[in-house]
Amino acid sequence: MIQPQTHLNVADNSGARELMCIRIIGASNRRYAHIGDVIVAVIKEAVPNMPLEKSEVIRAVIVRTCKELKRDNGMIIRYDDNAAVVIDQEGNPKGTRVFGAIARELRQLNFIKIVSLAPEVL
Amino acid sequence: MHALLDPCSLAPSSIIPLPPTVFVRPIVKTASQSMNFSFIKRKNTKPSLPFSHARLASFLLPYAHNRPNDSVSGDTDDMFDGLLDKYGKVVYRRNDRKTPSAEADDDAESLSFAVALAKVASEVKAADIRVLFVKPLVYWTRFFIIATAFSRPQIDAIGSKIRDLAEKQYRKVPSGDTKPNSWTVLDFGDVVVHIFLPQQRAFYNLEEFYGNATPVELPFDNQSSFRS
Repeated sequence: MIQPQTHLNVADNSGARELMCIRIIGASNRRYAHIGDVIVAVIKEAVPNMPLEKSEVIRAVIVRTCKELKRDNGMIIRYDDNAAVVIDQEGNPKGTRVFGAIARELRQLNFIKIVSLAPEVL
Repeated sequence: MHALLDPCSLAPSSIIPLPPTVFVRPIVKTASQSMNFSFIKRKNTKPSLPFSHARLASFLLPYAHNRPNDSVSGDTDDMFDGLLDKYGKVVYRRNDRKTPSAEADDDAESLSFAVALAKVASEVKAADIRVLFVKPLVYWTRFFIIATAFSRPQIDAIGSKIRDLAEKQYRKVPSGDTKPNSWTVLDFGDVVVHIFLPQQRAFYNLEEFYGNATPVELPFDNQSSFRS
């Protein structure tokens, strides 16, 4: 359940460390974003000497949420943190590696690039 | 097919987390009811009781042999039968699991598909084509095809040729990118095709990330030094 003003960790090596959601891409009046949704975010904290800087506005895909993700088979996945992967306008990830476990729902949502850079797919 | 549980073959560590109803199954067959009851009661009250193999076997066997026709309390018998009917099949093997030979057949089919796609890519002058067998590393696909193209029109050409072949000969429609992109992915399920511009290929360095995957030998000339 990510909404504007939610702070998220960054799960890649793009150079951003923390994001703040400012908009959810999709319907005009959408309240919450979940795993696999694209958000517009602002970088709140960044690693020094990297291409991305603080207060830059970027797009990101949510890959982990504290809110449970339910599957049709009854499986429930809940992560410890809210995390996102920074992407560009074309959908390519800005970093070259993704950290931590991600959900397989991302593949169905056409984020195969993120899935193929991830070390573990649940 | 549900696997029969033999109490003597179970490791002590694996006994403890199992629900007692799973445990009932073999005992009902081998031993009498009164013994069953006491045993299970004991299990329930002290779940972390350290049972060793030998102790468990020695505990079970004398009862089973010495009192085979114990006729105490038929209702516990019914109760356990009922529980067995209800929960006895908790431990079972998945039905949809394939035999190793069927799995090998599937792999061979995907391999021929992957090699055919790689061949088409090389016909459209994609460079440095690699086919990687990634099934041991990731569960979600079997083969990766990584290729370099030198311009977006070329990426478009490679993508559309691959789509045509897959649709006509193999009846598969890819998901993934529809527009040519600097990193274009075509996902056929078992085979995932990555087409990069040279810069992006060096940037993402997917071969290094999947360095432990076994490369597949390709039957045609691979122009790795093309225009480099």
